[in-house]
Amino acid sequence: MPRPDPRGRAGAPALFFLLLLLLAAVPSEAADTVTVDVGAVYASNEGTSIDPTLGMIRGKLRSMFNYTSYRMLDRKRRSLSVGETGEFELPDRRSMRATPLPARGDKVRLSIRISEGPRNLLTTTLGLRRGGMVLVGGPPHQSGVLILIISAE
Amino acid sequence: MDCRTALEKIETKGDGLLPREEAAELAGHLAGCPACASEDAAISATGPALRALTGIRAMEMAPALDAMWTRVRAGVEEGREARLRPSWIARWAWIPAAVALAVLALLFYPAGTDRSPFHPSTFDVAVEDVESDVATVALVDKGEDLPRVIWIIEDAKT
Repeated sequence: MPRPDPRGRAGAPALFFLLLLLLAAVPSEAADTVTVDVGAVYASNEGTSIDPTLGMIRGKLRSMFNYTSYRMLDRKRRSLSVGETGEFELPDRRSMRATPLPARGDKVRLSIRISEGPRNLLTTTLGLRRGGMVLVGGPPHQSGVLILIISAE
Repeated sequence: MDCRTALEKIETKGDGLLPREEAAELAGHLAGCPACASEDAAISATGPALRALTGIRAMEMAPALDAMWTRVRAGVEEGREARLRPSWIARWAWIPAAVALAVLALLFYPAGTDRSPFHPSTFDVAVEDVESDVATVALVDKGEDLPRVIWIIEDAKT
């Protein structure tokens, strides 16, 4: 009795796994790309709520600052190649420009520029490990301040 | 046992359905009744004759039955193969769909927003340089288990 040709059925999973491998390779595609994650947090003394989306940072914020309320206003994430500048809009017509710079190993170097209209609030160059995080705070927002959570992967 | 009952049992016996006890009772009646014994002999001879006739007919019909069965089996196989072998278009049609899906994933992956909570793996950050045109900038470091903070102090606003 003739059997069904197994090649067609065997080929489908093989191609499926190839596609999975291709997709899995995307994040590590390279070391040349840096995923910059910027969260804008409104810190104030209005209320005592702490946004659960802040994850493990909630405890850190409480132990570092004297504010009673932390609320995530916005969060943006962008993958940037080395030398490519990504612009992140921030509350109150502020913006942040991030440019990954050449780095070695699992290090990431980021050139950060935060501006408010034509005013340059901050220009800095950060060196951090992939998965690392830094906070930039201080710009006033409503009755509190803005704290930016900047992480790079 | 009367002859009427005996005839019914003779027919039942001919069909091979007569219980052993009743067969013994019938045999007792047949021994004393020549008419019933004659009937029994006739019916007993009919069974083998019918079986022989059926065998002969089956042998006569065997080639035709074989041919018919061959055609039926071929038809069944043909239908099965047709079901198992769809056209190459149907078989590989999913590939362009999968490729399109992968391309879409590749295109949108970099812009994808991940709303999962922050889980930094390290707070080890080196601030190579820092400056501001309009504000005083303070670098706050409260230990390795806390993130470093760059604090912008805008003309006593903060």
